[in-house]
Amino acid sequence: MKKPLLLLAPAAAIGLAVLAMPGTASAAGNSYQAQLNALNHSSGSGSVMISLNGSQATITEHFSGLAATFGGKPYPHVQHIHIGAQGQCPTTAADKNGDGVISTTEGGPSYGAIGTTLSTSGDTSPAAGTTLTVAPSGASTDYQRSITLDSKTLASLKAGTAVVVVHGLDPATLSKTAQGEKSDLVPSLPLAATSPALCGTLVASQMSSIPGGSASTGGGSTAGLQHAGWIELGAGLILAGAAAGGVGMRRRTATTR
Amino acid sequence: MIEPQHHGRRRLPPLAVLAVVLLLAGTALVVVALRSQRHAPQPPASAAVPLGAVTASPARTPDAGTNPPRRSPVSSGPVLARALPLQLVIPAIGVSTDLLQLGLNPDHSVQVPPLSRHSEAGWYKYSPTPGQLGPAVILGHVDSAEYGPAVFFRLGALRPGNTLSITRADHTAAVFRIDRVVSYPKDHFPTLQFYGNTGNAALRLITCGGKFDFTTRNYESNIVAYASLVSSHPA
Repeated sequence: MKKPLLLLAPAAAIGLAVLAMPGTASAAGNSYQAQLNALNHSSGSGSVMISLNGSQATITEHFSGLAATFGGKPYPHVQHIHIGAQGQCPTTAADKNGDGVISTTEGGPSYGAIGTTLSTSGDTSPAAGTTLTVAPSGASTDYQRSITLDSKTLASLKAGTAVVVVHGLDPATLSKTAQGEKSDLVPSLPLAATSPALCGTLVASQMSSIPGGSASTGGGSTAGLQHAGWIELGAGLILAGAAAGGVGMRRRTATTR
Repeated sequence: MIEPQHHGRRRLPPLAVLAVVLLLAGTALVVVALRSQRHAPQPPASAAVPLGAVTASPARTPDAGTNPPRRSPVSSGPVLARALPLQLVIPAIGVSTDLLQLGLNPDHSVQVPPLSRHSEAGWYKYSPTPGQLGPAVILGHVDSAEYGPAVFFRLGALRPGNTLSITRADHTAAVFRIDRVVSYPKDHFPTLQFYGNTGNAALRLITCGGKFDFTTRNYESNIVAYASLVSSHPA
């Protein structure tokens, strides 16, 4: 049986230690958030939060509901911060060639060119924009990374024209025409692979810094069975009492012969 | 050989007395220990549904196909100027606490108040001050490792419609009304809903809940009470 009263909580030690230090996270930065909405009949959704400290950005992102596999393997969803245009997500009016899909290029006037690649590791420049091996893959992701943003991306972010786009559609949701088309970015890939699936404009957050994750606000002394020692002692006394009673009963029957 | 009868009707045998005493004492101990078990209230699913009369704006921006406004959305409800929060009172659950200021840990998680016998709640200082437009965040422990219930032990007992008051450094009291109370598994914490922009002066009270993992010594869930500013008055 667990004894929750006994141990010191690591959280207590951490809390005390950190509060004793001067501010370890600068408040000089600010934060941005984007709600990722589905494009091109995708069924996904997600959110992005960026905590900025100078040019250092801590990016926390979650998305779910995207196409899960590509050629039998987890579907790589390249994703970027697009910059320098209208800071908007494209509407269906952007589908110039009428194939039912807004390609990355067709969306360009709305959200602009790639400013930063939100890769899982390594290069975050536009050069890594279509590197499938460093794209989060599968139907959902929980992405967290601290990267340095270049001056163009920073300027766009502060101007309200930075847009997060996650690419990669389920080919089965495309029209027959679109299923047969090649990607406008990487001709060896189908159109579905690089077309936008999720899009959201980064807006200034009302928080000046957004923490990662939830809060550790409990040490557990009201979890499980409490006062276990008392219960054990009480049980012991009951057993002793029963034993004494048993002995007493035997003596009584012995002496009555 | 017949032993003299030491025990007659008027005198109980010592062993019997001892047996009864031990049984009574043992039973009393077990009963008292069981009756003094304290477990934090967990919010029912019905508490996650806001009352119809509350004018809180949802944190989410409009549906796919529309674009969010570049500037802050037009706010609804009262909004106060920035002022540091000093004290929090929640009559419905007997909370009255000074407010610490909490920052960020080196790993970018939110700091929590110290786990001590007299636990206080804390305002996350990189969130708006309670009463300003946006989501002000206040954290408190549900319990400590050693001292039993802590300041937000009964947070899960709050219901839509309960009110609370925060006294600020500018001598105003901001009155909030609870919109909903929800429990989330920590591995599915709704970051945008909790930290995301709001269209009104909003508040999030957060503590731990659900099951306690004795191996990692962490609760598995967070309990969040969402609230909206309804009025203010001189304090």
